[in-house]
Amino acid sequence: MTAPPSVAESRLDTRYAAETPEGIALWLRPAGVVPRFYAYLIDAAIRFFFVSISFLVFALLGTFGDGLALVLVFLLEWLYPVAFELSAGAATPGKRMIGLTVVLDSGLPITPAASLTRNLLRAADFLPSFYAFGVLSMLFRHDFKRLGDLAAGTLVVYAPRTELLRGTPPPAPARAPAIPLTARAQAAIVAWAGRVSRLTEARADELAEIAVPVVVPRAMDGDRVAALVGVAHWLLGRR
Amino acid sequence: MTPLQFEAQHAAAWQELDAALAPTSRKRGSAPADRARIAALYRAACEHLAIAESRSYPVWLIERLEALTSRGHQLIYRQADFGIDKLRRLFLIDFPTAVRAHRLQVLIALVAFVGPLVVIGVLAYLDPSLILSLQDAASVEQYEGMYGDPDGPIGRRDAASDWAMFGFYIRHNIGIAFQCFAGGLFFGVGSLFALAFNGAAIGSTAGYLTWRGFGANFYPFVITHGAFELSGIVLAGTAGLILGHALLVPGRRSRLAALEHAARRAIVIVYGMTAMFAIAAALEAFWSSARWVPASVKVGVGAACWLAVIAYFLFQGRPRRGSGSTR
Repeated sequence: MTAPPSVAESRLDTRYAAETPEGIALWLRPAGVVPRFYAYLIDAAIRFFFVSISFLVFALLGTFGDGLALVLVFLLEWLYPVAFELSAGAATPGKRMIGLTVVLDSGLPITPAASLTRNLLRAADFLPSFYAFGVLSMLFRHDFKRLGDLAAGTLVVYAPRTELLRGTPPPAPARAPAIPLTARAQAAIVAWAGRVSRLTEARADELAEIAVPVVVPRAMDGDRVAALVGVAHWLLGRR
Repeated sequence: MTPLQFEAQHAAAWQELDAALAPTSRKRGSAPADRARIAALYRAACEHLAIAESRSYPVWLIERLEALTSRGHQLIYRQADFGIDKLRRLFLIDFPTAVRAHRLQVLIALVAFVGPLVVIGVLAYLDPSLILSLQDAASVEQYEGMYGDPDGPIGRRDAASDWAMFGFYIRHNIGIAFQCFAGGLFFGVGSLFALAFNGAAIGSTAGYLTWRGFGANFYPFVITHGAFELSGIVLAGTAGLILGHALLVPGRRSRLAALEHAARRAIVIVYGMTAMFAIAAALEAFWSSARWVPASVKVGVGAACWLAVIAYFLFQGRPRRGSGSTR
């Protein structure tokens, strides 16, 4: 008999659980090819801008300036992402604009060694041309790691949301359910009540119709949605 | 306990943690007592999250705790990996030790680089037309001006200044070294190819110039920065081969885990090798090309550099005899 699939394998979405020493899971949301491509384009534009500017400005300094400009090009080519990934937001300006950030796959903040590894191995991802190997690697993996990410043990993830799902049920008089409910059923009703304000009335009623006959049968004729939201309030502790 | 009671009971602690994690409160260096308090609040929040999940509490509670704990985690486990001490340790101990620890890869890289260099060098000396199958005719023609006896500095195509050449060497040579490292990801083949290709190119140039009779200019030119540049390219290949070796012979790890582990060891060599290329670029731009330094001085200094580099990799960072510990 085979072991049941782990949580990660059975998931349909690409959320990635990094377990912490405290025994909780940090849920990371890896970013796929398209947002990373946009971020790359923005970064490429920024780099191009600074390279052009630096050649113009340093040309005024004569041959000493030529040398500095070439050193700057080198730094922009190879160390531009490293410098930004080690700064506070852990992301290049392009990634920041798209809302991405780079972390270790343990959920920890990125280290200098990991950042340098993933960015130097960019040269391998680029081969044979236009990041073909990098894109292939990302497409084949659930966590969208390119080759550099594989070696460095890093993930490009969506930055944590600043606004949270509120999911508080709309006001309604609390009412006790007619029968004892299992934990799963309680969670389902509370979750539904949290979504009611974002559903159309018809859809909310349609969903309520599944639960109401069992949970509060006497409310079948009246406002079913209000009755079930009332049960949710009761379950949450307003009694 | 209902979700609302749970929230009411712990909300104060969560708010305190939330405020402590806010960027504004961290700016002015929190006191040690503060840190212990943050850690305690963070652990409590982790516990609350686990409880909330196991009791299927509503989504707003879970999301709030998830956001709070993930911010706390980022702050508490942030590593201070920088610093002068770390850098000193890298060059005094970690870098030479890492090179010695991978003597197999160093040996393979050395053979892959020096082999073609010597073989092609001798062949190009015996049959100078060979250089045309490795390099294009236009650049070979320029060697006349670069290593012949006109005025201008040695080894330059045109009258570029020292600073411009320094920038060029940094960008061009370190770029090649980084690519040589990255090529190791393809089971080491990319690194081997880069090593052999560069070895063959350097060998053919040396062989041709010797045949042409420019040896008296060429060898004093390359000897000093070569100590850092040639050993640098071998170490770039070594770092790549460490990755390739881990993929080919992962041992008791999975290939992916072996690669991650190897990358952490290889990156130490990449740090050191980059520094060597920077030294080489400075020497090549400001010292090697100078006509005012007599060739005999350059050979002397160059030989001293070679000895220093070899001694550095053989002896630097070994534990003191009888000290009993490696630190």
